[in-house]
Amino acid sequence: MSGLSAPGLPEGPIRARARDGVAGAFPPGAGYGHTVFGATPAASPDPLDRARLAPPIFMPERLEKLIELGREPTYGDVVLDTVIGGLSSPLPVYVSALGSTEVAGSDLGLAVVRQAGRLGLPLVVGENVGSVGGYRSSGPAATTLLARIEAYAAELRGPHGGVVVQQSTEDADSEIWNLLYSDPAVRDLLDSGRMAFELKCGQGAKPGLGGMTMLDADGAARVAGRYVVDAAAGGGTALLLRSGTPGTFTEEILRQQIRLMRNNYPRARVWVKLPPVRDVRHAAVAAWSAGADAVTVDGAEAGTGWAPVAFLEHVGLPLGECLARLGSPSSCVLVSGRMWEGARAVKSLALGATAVGLGRAALVAADEAPRDGLVNLVACLAFEMRMLISALGKYAPDRLGPEDVWAATGSGTR
Amino acid sequence: MGGAAVTTERSGGDQGEARPPGPLREHLTSATTRAALRVRQGIMAAAREYLTARDFAELQAPIIGPVTDPGVRGAKQVDIDYYGQRYKLMSSAILYKQASLLTFDRIFCLAPNIRLEPPETASTGRHLVEFHQIDVEVAGASREDAMELAQALVQHVIRTVITTMAAELEALGRDTGAFTETLAGPFDRITHAEATEGLAALGHGQSRDSEITWAGERVLSLKASRPFLVVDYPKGSRGFYDRESRTRPGVLRNFDLIAPEGYGELCSGSERESEYATLVTRMRETGENPAKYGWYLDLAREGIRPSAGFGLGLERLTRYVTGLAHVWQTTAYPKLAGVISP
Repeated sequence: MSGLSAPGLPEGPIRARARDGVAGAFPPGAGYGHTVFGATPAASPDPLDRARLAPPIFMPERLEKLIELGREPTYGDVVLDTVIGGLSSPLPVYVSALGSTEVAGSDLGLAVVRQAGRLGLPLVVGENVGSVGGYRSSGPAATTLLARIEAYAAELRGPHGGVVVQQSTEDADSEIWNLLYSDPAVRDLLDSGRMAFELKCGQGAKPGLGGMTMLDADGAARVAGRYVVDAAAGGGTALLLRSGTPGTFTEEILRQQIRLMRNNYPRARVWVKLPPVRDVRHAAVAAWSAGADAVTVDGAEAGTGWAPVAFLEHVGLPLGECLARLGSPSSCVLVSGRMWEGARAVKSLALGATAVGLGRAALVAADEAPRDGLVNLVACLAFEMRMLISALGKYAPDRLGPEDVWAATGSGTR
Repeated sequence: MGGAAVTTERSGGDQGEARPPGPLREHLTSATTRAALRVRQGIMAAAREYLTARDFAELQAPIIGPVTDPGVRGAKQVDIDYYGQRYKLMSSAILYKQASLLTFDRIFCLAPNIRLEPPETASTGRHLVEFHQIDVEVAGASREDAMELAQALVQHVIRTVITTMAAELEALGRDTGAFTETLAGPFDRITHAEATEGLAALGHGQSRDSEITWAGERVLSLKASRPFLVVDYPKGSRGFYDRESRTRPGVLRNFDLIAPEGYGELCSGSERESEYATLVTRMRETGENPAKYGWYLDLAREGIRPSAGFGLGLERLTRYVTGLAHVWQTTAYPKLAGVISP
């Protein structure tokens, strides 16, 4: 180096790309396997962060509750039970997809799955878990799709919960849904109405791209015929980038895929996951009218897996904007993206969501306390939700509305 | 006929609770099995005779391939390792039927099919994991042509069997008077929309966008006294190869042939899609990954022939002709969904 400097330019990343080529498009590869990636708040200003919950003084619904109870209602009187895309949950919260990325495939992923089962929260199993980690194992492998589902089901008590299994374009080659639907091992879940299939049309952290994981040479060789494998994008490590395709969708393709799901799997619920795209409303309406039980929208803040820096920082709509574009949906909208505490969750519910998904927060919580971390995090979340909802003079999540949110831009204010 | 006596279970297609096969020795030595397999043989011979006389070429369909028919409700395909590649046992011969019209104008095969059906189908009385179809495909044919051929073939087979195998049918207790209406003329036709409306009127919920449920099909079949054709299934209920109507988007140019007396579907057929770009688009609409259909799409890109055809279930037709209660009684080594069997 000559000592050249370039004030005003991010010299470090430029020099990194000059050294590493394509690998410079990703976060430093050394973080893979123990970091969960996602956009920083600074890079992705979300209207939800600026919005505030705005309680009124006059509360006719509190009066209704007062009459029902014969005493002044408190936050403890908020009933959080919610039906989420056909699955019942003790609160408007589900655990969103933990894919095949190394972090989620470890014991940590299993800790999340077990605690979600204990809580009775619906659990989404991400794409590629079956096609990369395998479907069934004769040994104690925790990474297979069936191992995750069985670990979850073993913890279920009471009427709540359910498993939602994603399938992407490449997963279709492995027939993940056909496998499950014809497998006696999951028949109890199907018989009790606790199985759903989620058509994955994209994800928050990298809308327009398919799922990505980093694999070692052996792992990459095993999937090379089915996925794009890119050695140049290893982030300065010996790992290789494995990319799924996002799949091609038109309104008709989406509509017919959903109809085929309903046709082929009449006893499973149908969920559709959308990335934070500009035509999110158009796509959601198409999905609902074709019979989807739920549409999941992953805000640009979402993520767990590996993603290019440009996508983390510059691609996709913030969740608050997605909710604004969806308007006041009459059907089930589920949202995820940087969810972990009550305020963001309750703002989302007020702006039209039926429930919120915990992704990275669930992993961090289980990492903090493998036995009870997620249980404790959810207890705190439920406590905050009850306080916030009661402060708005409401006693159930589905009573919330846009009048409960003040947006700094003025929209949503009444 | 020697050996054990013929089972006199006479409830036929309206059988309520399904009965699973007993021990293999009992099944193989049963006079019912023996008579049913003889009738099955007679059906195959009659079908061969009819089609061969009409210049159909008989082919043997492949057993394995890189892809197979994905258009089957919730059933898993069987994967095998083919020199390191994932191959499939055929769930139907449909893709090869279309390709074979590059060699002949009209073809048929008696093809084995494997579908790992959902476990609940073990009790329908009409699903087997391993079964055979009389597969027929005709270049340049319309749906009308295919329906007329299916009807004529079924009538010929029944006429032949009741003439030549009266002893077997009598031993099985089948009243051949049940076929009088079947042989009397053209089969009735209703649209899928009419079928779903009819089911709704009977209080049987049925989506207009979906395949008729197994329970719904049984209701329609029990009401009928002769076979009938259901046409115009909605897109989203069938595979990508059933051609969509050019004038009525969303409606497929296909049909099912349903037997009366509760025996249910015998046969599915359609005009086939043959245009490359439409095939790729329809693959996406059915959630398929076009990349894995390489050999088929390569042929389609260079041109495959427009055609129509059908697959007539051999075991189901045998069950209808013999009047047996369960489709597994028409095969020597029955395999029911979720049941571990020899």
